[in-house]
Amino acid sequence: MPLLVLFYRLMVRPLFREPVRSSLTILAIALGVAVVLAIDLAGGAAAGSFRSSMETLAGDNDLEVVTSGGLSENMVGILATLPYPVRVSPRIEDYALIANTKKSLPLIGLDLVAEGSAFAQSESQKTVAFQTQDVSEHAFEYLGDTDSIWVGSSLGYRAGDRVELLINDKVHSYMVRGIYPDSNGNESAIVMDLAAAQHALARYGRVDRILLKVPETPSPEEWQQRLQAALPAGVEVRPQGTGTNENRRMLAAFRWNLRLLSYISLVVGAFLIYNTISVSVVRRRPEIGIVRALGASKRVILAAFVGEAACFGIAGALVGLPLGRFMATGAVRLMSATVESLYVSSRPGIIELNAGSVFLAFAIGVGVAVASAYSPADEASQVSPVEAMARGRREYDVHVQKARDFWIALALGLAAGAASCAPAIAGKPLLGYLAAILLVVASALAIPAFVEALTSVSSKLLGKLLGIEALLASRSLAASLRRTSVLVGALSTAIAMMTAVGIMVGSFRQTVVVWMGDQLPADLYLRPAGSAAADRHPTLSSYLEEEIAKLPGVAVVDRLRAYEINFENMPATLASADLNVPRVYHNSDLFSGRPKEQVLAELRDSNTVIVSEPFTYKHHLKAGDSLTLSLGETRATFRIADVYYDYSSERGGIFMDRNTMLRYLPDPAPSNLAIYVSPGAQLDVVRTEIEKATAGHRVLMFSNRDLRAEAIRIFDRTFAITYALEAVAVIVAVMGIAGALLALVIDRRRELGLLQFLGAATRQVRKLILVEAGLLGLLANLAGLALGFALSLILIYVINKQSFGWTIRFHWPVEILFGALTVVYLATVLAGLYPAQVAVRLNPVEVVHEE
Amino acid sequence: MRSKFACIGVALLLLQPLAAQYRTALPGYRHEFPRDHFNHPDYQTEWWYYTGNLKSPDSHRFGFELTFFRQGVSRDPARTAAWELRDLYLAHLALSDLDGGKFYHSERTNRSGPGIAAVNESLGRIWNGNWQIQWHGEDQELRAIDERFQLHLTLHPEKPPVIHGENGISQKAEGPGRASHYISFTRLATSGAIELGNKRFEVRGTSWMDHEFFTHQLDSEQTGWDWLSLQLADNTELMLFRIRRKDGSIDPYSAGTYVDVNGKTTHLRSADFVLQPAGEIWASPKTGARYPMHWRVAIRKFNIELEAKTQLESQELTGKTGFAPNYWEGAIVLSVQRGPQSLSGVGYLEMTGYDRPVPFTK
Repeated sequence: MPLLVLFYRLMVRPLFREPVRSSLTILAIALGVAVVLAIDLAGGAAAGSFRSSMETLAGDNDLEVVTSGGLSENMVGILATLPYPVRVSPRIEDYALIANTKKSLPLIGLDLVAEGSAFAQSESQKTVAFQTQDVSEHAFEYLGDTDSIWVGSSLGYRAGDRVELLINDKVHSYMVRGIYPDSNGNESAIVMDLAAAQHALARYGRVDRILLKVPETPSPEEWQQRLQAALPAGVEVRPQGTGTNENRRMLAAFRWNLRLLSYISLVVGAFLIYNTISVSVVRRRPEIGIVRALGASKRVILAAFVGEAACFGIAGALVGLPLGRFMATGAVRLMSATVESLYVSSRPGIIELNAGSVFLAFAIGVGVAVASAYSPADEASQVSPVEAMARGRREYDVHVQKARDFWIALALGLAAGAASCAPAIAGKPLLGYLAAILLVVASALAIPAFVEALTSVSSKLLGKLLGIEALLASRSLAASLRRTSVLVGALSTAIAMMTAVGIMVGSFRQTVVVWMGDQLPADLYLRPAGSAAADRHPTLSSYLEEEIAKLPGVAVVDRLRAYEINFENMPATLASADLNVPRVYHNSDLFSGRPKEQVLAELRDSNTVIVSEPFTYKHHLKAGDSLTLSLGETRATFRIADVYYDYSSERGGIFMDRNTMLRYLPDPAPSNLAIYVSPGAQLDVVRTEIEKATAGHRVLMFSNRDLRAEAIRIFDRTFAITYALEAVAVIVAVMGIAGALLALVIDRRRELGLLQFLGAATRQVRKLILVEAGLLGLLANLAGLALGFALSLILIYVINKQSFGWTIRFHWPVEILFGALTVVYLATVLAGLYPAQVAVRLNPVEVVHEE
Repeated sequence: MRSKFACIGVALLLLQPLAAQYRTALPGYRHEFPRDHFNHPDYQTEWWYYTGNLKSPDSHRFGFELTFFRQGVSRDPARTAAWELRDLYLAHLALSDLDGGKFYHSERTNRSGPGIAAVNESLGRIWNGNWQIQWHGEDQELRAIDERFQLHLTLHPEKPPVIHGENGISQKAEGPGRASHYISFTRLATSGAIELGNKRFEVRGTSWMDHEFFTHQLDSEQTGWDWLSLQLADNTELMLFRIRRKDGSIDPYSAGTYVDVNGKTTHLRSADFVLQPAGEIWASPKTGARYPMHWRVAIRKFNIELEAKTQLESQELTGKTGFAPNYWEGAIVLSVQRGPQSLSGVGYLEMTGYDRPVPFTK
């Protein structure tokens, strides 16, 4: 107990005396904790519990039957009449937009006749459409109507309401026949009978998936084999939810990278704790001396300072917990947008703040605090009582071994270089991350030497430029080298991360812009207004193409079609275009560099495909290899003629001729139309004509330029969360600067007081502090830019390549970087305002008197 | 007449206005076989109803019921896609483990869809998922799969099909068309296997098959019925039903059929027979319905007096869908006095409308 009292008096109480600085430190930790927690929670909600939206209504089935392009509905009859006690649930799965709210929802076609009664039979079941009591009596009356739908309760409709739904390129009017409970929207969907769904999607004769519930014995694997044996070869029987696992695997790299990005704030926070505890140690040297002289052991001292850090950690975690929960809401939104545009239709789950999250918050908060405080605390414990009690307060202990640290930094830098050359481990760029961490550590170690070198130059320069106050500021920074280094380290790490990610995203963006220039040869593009995501391909009515082709001014219309398929347990996009349509490419986007026209000619009417770069990366395939796809009910083998760069989606892509595709998947409806305008025709006139011809359909028409702008808009939205994470890291760092300057001011009260005593004007004192802040900012910017450049190379050429398989061409996003760095610099200077104010308010007489 | 309310319950509620699309059962119908063993889509309602008493070599006794219903929903010629709803196909499957004291039953509802359920004369097949009847010449092979048990039986008719009623129709109420075309196989020699849990029973016995098709045969004053199929050890059979009315009386359209050793039939009007509950009541714990468990039959014309009892009280089929009324349908044993002769016999008993009136019409 006495120890605790001592701890309270010596360690905790002083914290209350400096509420501003303590709060800033706590807030910095809190932000770090909050960001990590938010990403963790959001990952769980947006991607982790990540079920493709369809799975939320899949029920308690064991197996599923699937094939690319949908199953013949006859499979349902075959399965239903097999002499096995298996429950067969066919599904049609797509998406619909509620026309007036533009809310996108899964559209699910069920066999409501069979499932309605089957569900009703086992009372405990969770059923889709028949849970409400009044429905069953009238169910069959409505079933026959193609405009009957059942909807989730969270959508707020009531039985009898009319709802307009945009499906593919048409709006249909539906009558809500019943409501089912949908767990607060997590299972909300539009449910129809199969007949109505086939009608709405013009998907006659096909279903998308057949779910199977099998008996417990023998094993599900045995059932899988038995049922597979009863079906054609191209049809796959697999455990239900395989698609979800595939999606999860596909999303793993994305989540991993995001999670690591969230740790940046924490790293920055760690620097700040280190700084805070260092300050605390230095300022309490006399107390340490007294306590040691009275018999306290080294371990007590060590424990005291570590304890202090832990207090910060706990306080930070307490604040960070609700903050993280709050931030998670926004993070989920941003992450869902990214997931949808790059990967797969998703539906954010519920954000669950459970014991695990709380534990995580405290583990992070306290862990980081204690770890980063250990070194200064250890140093405190080494203080000998005699030295500490000696009169006169020492400023920072300049035990910095610049030279040694510099050499270590150099060695680490070389190690980083080596690590960045290594290949991915288990599909993750682990060594790439190691390289990044090594670089950050190296830079932290190199910073004292850097600071000293620069301040010695700046002292002279600044003295001449800004006068005596600046000279003092510069000298003072150089004098307290360690503290300065730590601050510069913290801020420069944040800046470096920002710079690195900025360069990476900027390069990526530029690469995409250039690529699109080669990729989009047509003048106008048409797609259904229905719900879109990376894995959804709503279709246009097939007769539209003919009508548009007839219009004056239209040279030729190309029909593009895409399907979501499964290739070797990974989702992929299978696309086709009409290769008889002549097209001109300015640049080849092929690996081989051969003219694209020539390669596409090889694809015409043959089992030859080209595949996207991420696809080759995922499946370790290259030009010349062959691949076998399950299409419809058959399996077919294709030769890979070449590989194309593709930045439109991280899902792998396979591209073939339209005629080849139609042989296996005969649905003629296109997903997109690419329209080439006759030379000499007015684009606007043609556009108006097309608008007239497509009246009655909900289509979106983009000119070539619109489409590029749209793509870039989606791109930017995709990286919104990345920017948000960086912003938090920078905010933490700037707050750290403010706190540290405040400490600096309080520490140098004597010196500042003396200056004022000697006649320094208020203005001069303020200038002194602001110049120090500005100098810190400048140093951090320079160091951060250098480190950031190095990190960006690792991000682009190692981490991105190994995680996603994209080739990104390096590009300096000059405007963005310049803007961001300026903002940071100004923020650092502004962060000096409050400490400067405190410095000015010091009473010189009182301060000097203390001595 | 059988318990077809599953269909009636739903369909009559909803489809009354469309009834005009269908034919009704009228006198003078010329039955033709095998055509009339299969589908009659011109009539709204049709069912094929198999019940039987079976025994394993070690005398373990079972009763079974497998029923296929078809209920016309729409005859709109525009409905051509496989999933579009033209008919509902319902089916009931029950196994009475008489010596094990257990009753298992399940039901399913389907549409024809892409071969999920149908009646197909050219294939000789009536099926609903993996419950099916496959005709092989005269024989009918019955196969039904449930999670708990499976039936695989071959039914061989020992007598030609019986056409009940008079002039090709079995009248159920006042008015033209309030009738059905009603055909039975009254004695089907049955052999095959029952798998129950992990056990397999080779079984033999006698089954009965009813096939009826009609459009709206009952009227709104009729609340339920009691129906018996009786197979006497002297190789004769009886079918009897009585229809109960809201006022508690027995409908004069109650009727029956006597089938002699050679398969010759005699129509029985309600005045020709006595069919009465005799005391014992079983109250269903699920529905609260109170079913008479003991019946007394007397037919003076043929000098028959008999008592029908069941070995297993809980043979009630409870539909959980809400639209299929609950009913009791179970295996019974008979003690028959025919003149001086004491005979045994087996049969099936069906009782409907005991928990609430069967909703015939709206």
